[in-house]
Amino acid sequence: MHRRAFVSLLASMPAMAVLAGCKSSSTIGSLDRVWGRRGISDGRLQKPRAMTIDADDQIYIVDMTARIQVFTTDGEFLRGWQTPEHVNGRPTGISIDRHGNVLVPDTHYYRVLVYSPTGELLETLGGQFGTAPGRFGWPTDVQVDDEGNWYVSEYGEYDRIQKFSPQREFLLEWGGHGPAPAQFSRPQSMALDSDGNVWVADACNHRLQIFDGQGRLVKMWGSHGSQPGQLAYPYGLLLDGRGHAYVCEFGNHRVQKFTLDGQSLGCWGRPGRAPGELRNPWSLVRDKLGRIHVLDTNNHRVQRIFM
Amino acid sequence: MQVAFDSPWYLVLLAGLPVLWWSSLRTLSSFGRFRRFTAIGLRTVVFTLLVLALAEAQWVRTSQRLTVLYLLDHSESVAEEQSDAMVDYINKSIAQQRDAAREDRAGVIVFGREAAIEVPPMDDDQSIPKVETLVDREHTNLAGAMKLAQASFPHDAAKRVVIISDGNQNIGNALLQAQALAESGVGIDVVPIRSRAFGEVSVEKVMLPSDVRRGQPFDLRVVLNNAPGEGEEPRPVDGRLQVVRKAGGREQLITEQDITLEPGKRVFSIREEIEQPEFYTYEARFVPRDHDADTLPQNNNASAFTHVRGRGQVLVIENAERHAEAEGEGDFDFLVDRLRSMNLEVTLRQSLQGELFGDLSELQPFDTVVLANVPREDFEDDQIEMLVRNTRNLGAGLVMLGGPDSFGAGGWTNTPLEEAMPVDFQIKNAKVAPVGALAMVMHASELPDGNYWQKVVAREALKALGDQDYAGIIHWNITGESWLWRRMLRVGPNRRSMLSRLDRMTPGDMPDFEPSLQLALVEFRRLRNTAVKHMIIISDGDPSPPNYGAGGAIPAMISLGVKISTVAIGTHGPAGSTPLQNIATRTGGKYYVVQNASTLPRIYQKEARRVARPLVFERESGFSPQLRLQHEMVQGIDNPLPPITGFVLTTPKPNPLVEVSIVSPLPTGTEMNPILASWTYGLGKAVAFTTDAGNRWASAWKSWSNYDRLMSQIVRWSMRPTDESGQFTVSTDVVDGKVQVVVTALDQNDEFLNFLNLESMVVGPDLKPVDLNIEQTAPGRYVGSFDADDSGSYLVLVSPGAGRAPIRTGVSIPYSAEYRDRQSNVALLETMARVTPQEGTAGEVIDAPSELPADERVAKLLKTNTFRHNLAKATSSQGVWPLLLFVGACLFVGDVFVRRVAVGLEWVAPLARRAMDRILNRQARPDVTETMERLISRKASVAGQLEQKRASLRFEPTPDAPGDLKSLTEQATAAPAGPDEKKAAASLEAEREQESYTERLLKAKKSARGGRRNAPRENDQ
Repeated sequence: MHRRAFVSLLASMPAMAVLAGCKSSSTIGSLDRVWGRRGISDGRLQKPRAMTIDADDQIYIVDMTARIQVFTTDGEFLRGWQTPEHVNGRPTGISIDRHGNVLVPDTHYYRVLVYSPTGELLETLGGQFGTAPGRFGWPTDVQVDDEGNWYVSEYGEYDRIQKFSPQREFLLEWGGHGPAPAQFSRPQSMALDSDGNVWVADACNHRLQIFDGQGRLVKMWGSHGSQPGQLAYPYGLLLDGRGHAYVCEFGNHRVQKFTLDGQSLGCWGRPGRAPGELRNPWSLVRDKLGRIHVLDTNNHRVQRIFM
Repeated sequence: MQVAFDSPWYLVLLAGLPVLWWSSLRTLSSFGRFRRFTAIGLRTVVFTLLVLALAEAQWVRTSQRLTVLYLLDHSESVAEEQSDAMVDYINKSIAQQRDAAREDRAGVIVFGREAAIEVPPMDDDQSIPKVETLVDREHTNLAGAMKLAQASFPHDAAKRVVIISDGNQNIGNALLQAQALAESGVGIDVVPIRSRAFGEVSVEKVMLPSDVRRGQPFDLRVVLNNAPGEGEEPRPVDGRLQVVRKAGGREQLITEQDITLEPGKRVFSIREEIEQPEFYTYEARFVPRDHDADTLPQNNNASAFTHVRGRGQVLVIENAERHAEAEGEGDFDFLVDRLRSMNLEVTLRQSLQGELFGDLSELQPFDTVVLANVPREDFEDDQIEMLVRNTRNLGAGLVMLGGPDSFGAGGWTNTPLEEAMPVDFQIKNAKVAPVGALAMVMHASELPDGNYWQKVVAREALKALGDQDYAGIIHWNITGESWLWRRMLRVGPNRRSMLSRLDRMTPGDMPDFEPSLQLALVEFRRLRNTAVKHMIIISDGDPSPPNYGAGGAIPAMISLGVKISTVAIGTHGPAGSTPLQNIATRTGGKYYVVQNASTLPRIYQKEARRVARPLVFERESGFSPQLRLQHEMVQGIDNPLPPITGFVLTTPKPNPLVEVSIVSPLPTGTEMNPILASWTYGLGKAVAFTTDAGNRWASAWKSWSNYDRLMSQIVRWSMRPTDESGQFTVSTDVVDGKVQVVVTALDQNDEFLNFLNLESMVVGPDLKPVDLNIEQTAPGRYVGSFDADDSGSYLVLVSPGAGRAPIRTGVSIPYSAEYRDRQSNVALLETMARVTPQEGTAGEVIDAPSELPADERVAKLLKTNTFRHNLAKATSSQGVWPLLLFVGACLFVGDVFVRRVAVGLEWVAPLARRAMDRILNRQARPDVTETMERLISRKASVAGQLEQKRASLRFEPTPDAPGDLKSLTEQATAAPAGPDEKKAAASLEAEREQESYTERLLKAKKSARGGRRNAPRENDQ
């Protein structure tokens, strides 16, 4: 190589680095800890699909053995129990209500189970398949607002969100299966903001839809793709209360941080099995220290990150 | 951590170190002491590292982990309750004894005839509720299980097997395998499953004379055995003996009598006579009145068969589904009537799986089998294999008649039956070949063994597709929905790579159907011109349903004519099945609900056949086939033949044995359109008749005068030769798992036939050929034998020579060897436990009295810790020669540095002084100024000297100075010089000397150049 050509190459390298780094520059966050191992004994995980965290920073995870296991934020196993039936299928959601009880949408039994934090079954909502009020297709998530109202999302032939009073009386429903605004295609998870709006991860439409408490569409954003700002099967949704939304993408194997208007602030994670890599993540939670725990489903583990 | 060497003899080279030291001391003697010894030290290390690298030094790590594999005997000889107790023992042993802190692993291997891993070695407290692995329980192959265990052990831990068995092996040699395990350092513990010998009654065999002839009475003998239990007094057992004769699908009870069976072996004779020529099976059954006297009911039956020759027998198998649609009036009733009228014994059966025939012996009464428009999916793989072997190895005929469910259109492409036929079921000419496209969506990952079944069904579908067809598989992987092989590809050139890619397929949990359908849609649009576009989705139904609205995939599929069949398996109730049902209903596909995964292959065969349907050529106006070649089958038949309206397209095999007797003129563009083709396949004959025999395409033939002649000649030509000469008799006998075959050969004058070359063939119950070599042992007597390891029917075929009908007989092994042994072989197990593993201690016999209740027995067994660590510790080694070479190379540079670079230490003292000043906070001495002053003064002095020198050399002429050098010299010598003059003279003298030296150099140079220049000239001269 001529000296001049060599020098030109050297000179062009910083420019190339800038261009090539467009995508990597969108990578934010850092890995803090990886915990969890594949297995069916206590403390191990078998394709975990939903996760939530309570006020005491205890993490609840439900996996493909229909076990609900409780861990510390360091991954130390505390206790666990199993849903009463699971031959038809296992739960795909879990959340905590205002009293610290554990709400488990028992997806393939068309119902929501309410457990005490120690695993005592307190209440069951639904149980019958159907599209009539109070019946369910496949429930995916339950969220409880400050007034104690329940929002239950479901998918199947008729994707919708039903709202119930604190006494579990049917109040209203909205949605329907399809790609149009205010319709859903697998609303996999929800989150409530401080204004009482219902944020829905509309997974197979690759977008987030935000509704008010009466089911009126407030805004929606997101499009299908793998670039920063785009989404592929957003399964998990988290609002940090500080103006950020975190989305874990089942299809892009990453966690993406957004402003509340849908502007991407960066991504963390890439496909793979190594630490720092994800394989079809389903869910994410945030602990009191601001650490995000990502449920790395097909790697049968949890990754704790700062983002 | 230890160090080991792979090639330790290289370490001898270290003896060369003193030589290195001696030589280094000599060569480095001019260096200072420090540099010399540093260099020698470095050389020593470099040399040593090189030698270690040559000796392939390894780091060796020792692991404290232990892996225990439990080998559980799951054969029939182990009673159910004992098996359950042992599962309980394994679970408790893992839970209580596994050292989790040491990260010990435990795994379970289940074995019968073959071994399978129930739980792979894992460092987890896995428990098995029951044995789920399916193994053939009719045999015990302990050695096979031990071999599998040896291969399954992780390399980084000590190894132990715990054998839980009754020790009654009937395949393999466990003791030899135990030695092999011990040599690999694997410890062996044994847990004997003790079975007490209970009273046992068995039917040992049914004996028939070797030369049963029509109308001649003979004695059928049944051998029974009454063995007392362990510690029991021998006593007679009352019971009922039944003997049944089976022939042609009929069952006839020939005797039923109450008998008292005395202890020991007893023989009961029954007089029997056969009137009709047929293939007969005699089955004897003994039912004891007191069931306690008999432990195993499996060994209470035995059978034998014989064959009495008669008229030719034909089996016609017709399509059960079409028969049902026609409300009982079959498509081939007319053909069957006509064949019967031509003096052929015809049996008509419908193609319902499982009811046709389950054993090769059931096909033996028939001399030819006619497949009348039956699809491939009506037969199990084994049944197809039986049909082929029946022709190839046992000499029976095989005729395939055409129809929409026959040949390639019946999904028979790429089956063994296609190999047996004289035609290929695919069309070689691409212009004529109708092309189909099949896309498959795989989403059954949550089904137990889902990945396995998805591979099986995809393989079956690919098999059923023709070379010109397109196929593609969509699955969910890490990149989302994607084609398994980029897009839909032609099957023919890619079949092998498709199958190999299929082996690596691991479909994940697909969230949504729509993107997969959109992917397929793009490909179906690209392949718009294919005749049939079809799609199959297998799923548990939980992906989000597709879009039925405008812009959605489903309406687009409908407009393209794509039909989508859906297979719902493991669906989550109605919510899962409805979307799948909707997809099928809207697109015109079929919706299947599958409870048992084993039915999946048949569904995929049937669905893939939709793509193969264009292989049928039909023209309502009709066209006349033509005779092409004279053949026994078309003897006495001339052109013109009546018209037909359709047939199934095939291609004659490029083989000189294939004879195509009738062809169709349409469609044009192909090399040949066979209507009737035949060839000899192995010992039998196979015929392809690609149009039907009457009802659909060849209805004009039914009124044709030559119909009977043609069809009966086709069937008769295909039949195996029959004669009733009876000059050869074959008898069989079973002794200790070995079958002896005796052939007696007489000529027409009842004289012995000697020195015959008898060809023989045995087909085992697994349809595989068994070696049998028959040799002459006496005049007219030929004897051979073969091992009969499996229970079931063995068919023996002996061919006396060209032109003679083969003699068929058979032998039945009534029950597996599993039911022969009545007591545990504890001695074998104990011997295995005594084998001492390398670098370890011998194993334990973990035993407890068999009379204890199961719980107590398990508790007692648990007192021995199977995870005790008294075995060879596992080591892992890592080669370090690259590291050694790298370090050696670095140190070698150090050696060169020490020798070539003199490192002065003058700078150390000032540096140290300055450091001390700084540490002690002292005023630093102005050494910098001093140094500068010294430098300036030295510079001035040198400059002065130079100037002086220049001045002395400068020539400044004065006006009165002599004009030449000579006068100057004279002046110098004449007058004494002053100091300045002396100095100038001296420098002049020096200059002169210098000049003379330069001049000398120049002269020498010139002379050398001149010499070189002159040399060639001299040479030229």
